Amino acid sequence: MSHLLHFVEHTLQEVALLIMAIVYTGRLIWLMHYKAGKERQADTGNGNTSPGKGIIYSWFNVAMPWAMESSRRKIFLYFQFVIFHLGVVAAIGLSFVIPYGPHLLNSETLVLLLQVVIGLAFLVGLYRIIRRVSNSYMRAISSPDDYFSLVLLTVWFFFAFWAVPNNTAKGETILLIYFFMTAFFLIYVPFSKISHYLYYPFTRYYLGKTLGKRGVYPVKHYPREVRG
Amino acid sequence: MKATRSYKAQKVLDRMGNKLNRQMVASLAACVHCGMCTDACHYVLANPGDPTYAPAYKADKIRKLFKRHFDWTGRVIPWWVNAKSVYTDEELEELKDTVFGKCTNCRRCSINCPMGVDYATFNRMARGLLVSVGIMPEGVAVVSKDQWEIGNQMGVLKEDYLDTLEWLSEELVDELGDPRAAIPIDKKDADIVYSINPREVKYDPRTISDAARIFYAAGANWTMPSEGWDMTNFGLFSGDDDLGGAVARRLYEKVEELRGRKLVISECGHGYRSTRCEGQNWAGYDLGFEMESSVITMLRYIHEGAIKVDKSRNTEPVTFHDSCNNARSCGLFEEPRELLNLVIEDFREMYPNRAENFCCTGGGGAMSMAEYTPLRLKSAKIKADQLASTGASYVATSCHNCVDGLSDLIKHYKLGMKVTQLVNLVAEALVIPEKEVLVPVEKVPAVSAGPLDGYKILVVDDEPDFVSFASAILEDHGASVVTAFDGNEALEVARRESPDLITLDITMPGKDGKEVFEAMRRDPALESIPVCIITGQPELRKLIYDRSVPPPNGYVDKPISEETLMRNVRKILEIKQKVKK
Ligand code: SF4
Ligand code: SF4
Repeated sequence: MSHLLHFVEHTLQEVALLIMAIVYTGRLIWLMHYKAGKERQADTGNGNTSPGKGIIYSWFNVAMPWAMESSRRKIFLYFQFVIFHLGVVAAIGLSFVIPYGPHLLNSETLVLLLQVVIGLAFLVGLYRIIRRVSNSYMRAISSPDDYFSLVLLTVWFFFAFWAVPNNTAKGETILLIYFFMTAFFLIYVPFSKISHYLYYPFTRYYLGKTLGKRGVYPVKHYPREVRG
Repeated sequence: MKATRSYKAQKVLDRMGNKLNRQMVASLAACVHCGMCTDACHYVLANPGDPTYAPAYKADKIRKLFKRHFDWTGRVIPWWVNAKSVYTDEELEELKDTVFGKCTNCRRCSINCPMGVDYATFNRMARGLLVSVGIMPEGVAVVSKDQWEIGNQMGVLKEDYLDTLEWLSEELVDELGDPRAAIPIDKKDADIVYSINPREVKYDPRTISDAARIFYAAGANWTMPSEGWDMTNFGLFSGDDDLGGAVARRLYEKVEELRGRKLVISECGHGYRSTRCEGQNWAGYDLGFEMESSVITMLRYIHEGAIKVDKSRNTEPVTFHDSCNNARSCGLFEEPRELLNLVIEDFREMYPNRAENFCCTGGGGAMSMAEYTPLRLKSAKIKADQLASTGASYVATSCHNCVDGLSDLIKHYKLGMKVTQLVNLVAEALVIPEKEVLVPVEKVPAVSAGPLDGYKILVVDDEPDFVSFASAILEDHGASVVTAFDGNEALEVARRESPDLITLDITMPGKDGKEVFEAMRRDPALESIPVCIITGQPELRKLIYDRSVPPPNGYVDKPISEETLMRNVRKILEIKQKVKK
């Protein structure tokens, strides 16, 4: 392994992670300095609903495709969402496995699994780029950050896919690009839409708490899929 | 060169910082522009191919301000995240058209967003910011002013409210033959203080007498307050938390003054949400009494055996429309269905329903914003299709706003359905045991003469259709009718005929209704003749009331039904309805 590859796999990643952690902490402090609204009224709804149950339901809503009409009606979009995010987890995980547990990649099954997940995520990324560019509704709500973040992740998946075997015998270019991109990704994320997962627990917490207090969450009864 | 910003634009930005809370900030920061919420909105579905109705697109009009002034990336590289400030009053006007005209704050997109972005919440905030600098639809200004000044959102005067209750009370006592059937006003230590929507006094008093009949049959210890009785709250729609808090506080304080044990809120979605779920937070008020929807009260009466119902009295097929505020923001969706199934024979479910139901399109104060009516009715196609596919002849709903929104769209799409409320269906099914009747009723013989016999009424309107419609009704009830089609003619006929009452349109060619009204009030020969304004433009109301002459004796919005016209005319002429038995 070259010095450069060792540097990008270790020092660069660690510095990037540190920067990300600092910026994220700043983001959280920024968010928390806004006051949370106080609810004085008694709960509405029957005994099946409460703020606590609402919060739990809301957090796990994402794992219940039947819970929202939008995912029920667009089940294909839901599954590509799942694959895309599994791809992110796999590609991030890879950036730890290669420097800190390379022996794990001796398992051909793990290599295959990671490549399947990341490869599918790459295809989903391509589909998402096409959808964002060709669908007038998506174009209307897209900013340069939306396009760039999506392209960045898709290209990153491409290199992650080829980086999975961690084979330096055929050259280090792929691994170098993958790790440089990972470091850039880590530093860029807190400033971009990709940081949404930082807000996710908060948005869903408050929506769940509000709708739980108001007797809506957890939803027990889903209407039949008929739209007049 | 640094762009200059208008005073109003600067105020909006300054105040935005004070309005933001953690929930809103998270919602503003978290949108990933995934588009999953797009099809959740009835505006999108009814306007295919136009992305400007997409919830995320509309939300971005507010989000761009947030990003430019409060979010890191947007402050440093605004173009990268579409962050943008606001500089002119024209831009604020455009924002007004989005937040008031293209969204009813129904929250359907919120429950369909995987990220949990609650657009409706910060759309309301944006409404409040615009209202704080005087930028709002005219109707919103009029209604808010009435609620601030008169204490209810339809400008019902205390004497009119009490007159109506007295009149309803007398009818009930006559009908049930029991003085205990009277509506108790300001009774101390009652178990129930019943609060209503001013629309009930003005357009739909049957809902009040039906509720009174149910309380009577249940033997309830109840009362209605003489003041602070309006449970609706325009602060919810206008985003004005100060108004919201003041209105809610007025009601809460009245219940405490009466030492009431429970506040029962009549069927109104936004009233229920404002009073039950939000009002305490706006007012910063902790209560010493309970609150519940009248739907739950009626259901409990049946469960406890306090009232008996016979569902065979309601045989027509009925569907149920969930008000967004009741269902999606207060979780009130199972109780109305349970109640309906106890009082009607043929219930037809509407799909989608409960928290996923589509807005009636009259929500968020849309019924008061005449400038957006064409768009509202176009977007109502979704609801119209939902209604039509049930095959029901009645749609029941627990919301007065929805009653108006649904009635309007049913007429527009010629669905031929009728709109009703649960209180009407329960009252229809109510069985009042004979033994309950303590005082035998002396039957009043049927009166063949019309209640308006001997009265001369001048109908002034430039629409011949309306003049024929009103004249026919008034003549059917015994009045002699004279007519005028413009302002000058109105003054001439009024001076010549000296009518007992004048119904006056506002918008007319030549001398319009405002000038005619003022001229009448200033003319010694005409000043004492009662005038009832009947207009299709409620936003012009303040132009009449702001004049330095005594206000009109009645004010009714078009479209107007026979029942509403007659009730207002009778009330003004102080004629008691004759009971036909
Ligand atoms: S579904 Fe949520 S995250 Fe996606 S575009 Fe709509 S508001 Fe934004
Ligand atoms: S709150 Fe309702 S009307 Fe407004 S954008 Fe969302 S779905 Fe549409």
